[in-house]
Amino acid sequence: MMHNLALRNLRARSLRTAILIALTALLSLTICGGTLLVSGLQRGLGSLEARLGADIMVVPYEARTKSNLETIVLQGNPGYFYMDRSRYEKIAGTEGIAQISAQFYLASASSGCCSIPVQIIGFDPETDFTVTPWMKRSYEGTLQNGDIVVGNDLNAFPGDTLQFYGVECHVAAKLEKTGTYYDSAVFTNEETIVSLIQSSLDKGMNDFADTDPAKAVSAVLINVADGYSPEEVMNDINIHVKKVKAVQTKEMIAGIAGSLQGTSDVIGLLIAAVWVLGLVILLLTFSMQMNERRREFAVMRVVGMSRRSLAWLVMQEALLSGACGAVIGTAAALIGMLSFRSAIGAQIGLPFLLPGTAGTAGLALGAVMAVMLSGAAAAACTAYRISQIDTARILRGDNG
Amino acid sequence: MKKITVTDILLLLLSLALCIGIKVIFHACGPKEDGGFMACHWAEQAVFAASIGMAGVSCIRLLLSRREKAGAALAVAVMAAVTAFLPGVFIRLCMMQEMRCHAVMRPAVLLLCIAVAAAGVTDFVLSRKDDRHDA
Repeated sequence: MMHNLALRNLRARSLRTAILIALTALLSLTICGGTLLVSGLQRGLGSLEARLGADIMVVPYEARTKSNLETIVLQGNPGYFYMDRSRYEKIAGTEGIAQISAQFYLASASSGCCSIPVQIIGFDPETDFTVTPWMKRSYEGTLQNGDIVVGNDLNAFPGDTLQFYGVECHVAAKLEKTGTYYDSAVFTNEETIVSLIQSSLDKGMNDFADTDPAKAVSAVLINVADGYSPEEVMNDINIHVKKVKAVQTKEMIAGIAGSLQGTSDVIGLLIAAVWVLGLVILLLTFSMQMNERRREFAVMRVVGMSRRSLAWLVMQEALLSGACGAVIGTAAALIGMLSFRSAIGAQIGLPFLLPGTAGTAGLALGAVMAVMLSGAAAAACTAYRISQIDTARILRGDNG
Repeated sequence: MKKITVTDILLLLLSLALCIGIKVIFHACGPKEDGGFMACHWAEQAVFAASIGMAGVSCIRLLLSRREKAGAALAVAVMAAVTAFLPGVFIRLCMMQEMRCHAVMRPAVLLLCIAVAAAGVTDFVLSRKDDRHDA
């Protein structure tokens, strides 16, 4: 009966109800959307940290000047550099190295389907310790010659055949989503990448200058042995191996983590500002509504409604409009964030990985509950004041 | 004079938004370096053609009787439902999910088509309700 009355009240004052719903929808849209964004950025960084998996990365010295190494490593912007394998052997001789593996980067030519080159990463399955552990989650087998493993953002599936530089490659597995540039990369073993290089050279599509592509590597990844610090080993390599630059991966992550923290703080501040503003507006709206409906509430008291029931009626109206707005706002945020997640990630230019289904559902539920509780808290003040009204004075027309 | 309802205007505006948006705001990937087009370009063209049809029918609807309008609204809803599947299902898109056709065009077309279909079905249901009420 009371529930029905609250609904009828809301319907009767459709404009006021629409404004309340719009306000709560805006609140939940901001909270849900903002939290998803911050969470996506944090998960993206965590995923990148997990994927890098090496203490030190050694690249040819010119890579440091050719383009920003952080951009290459963190965003995968094609910047291709090569050094002779002899330098890899020299680096391997450095004291304090526990694991060492070489990688080879190659950009595919624009294939028939798309104008963006795909980054092909060649690794040695016998020594690799960064790609293989992650690959094992999706693919248990051993990569044969001509086999490739594709990132999650590539529209290719196990069993498909992709062509790079005229060489047909068989898709052996598709990796799980990481939110980093690895999602649009292709991984393969050394033999396959050598055949791709040869084909690219035959077609005149690549130039390795004075480096022999069969004996070239792009980067060397190192894990430091116990008892040694990454800084120590990095300095040792930088001093004793010529024409290479060793960098600590944590340093590269530190830069991005700093900018990520700044972005998260700004988003957090915006959410808080919108929240406070929304709460103030809700309080004002309920307060104005009470003044406007004083006579209505007084009549309800006269016909026998208790103070408690009257307060509960106001609470019910607030909860119903709040629930409606919260669901609409949260749904809008979910639709927007989930549909345009790739565009948002590309626009931000940082690793971006939205939470899984359970995490997203939890966040959405939290946003709905938070907004409903805010509405209820704002309405509670009004409900208390309504329960204290002096019926006789209001009906006499004495508002003082 | 024919009565113009909110759903009439909504249907027309959403169809026009799809028609203009697919060419101006959420278009597919640009041409390749050699000047050729990728597959997604043809998906954009198909959506553009279908949206012209939807906008045309939504416009003509305004001149029809209530019953005819309801039928036309349902037709627009069906057209929107089919158009939603043009990029990615009937016509393939580019290879990478991060490319514009996947990241922007496909979700925008999908959301707008859902909105057009919802407006069309709502208009049809409301017209049927009015018919029953009049009877």
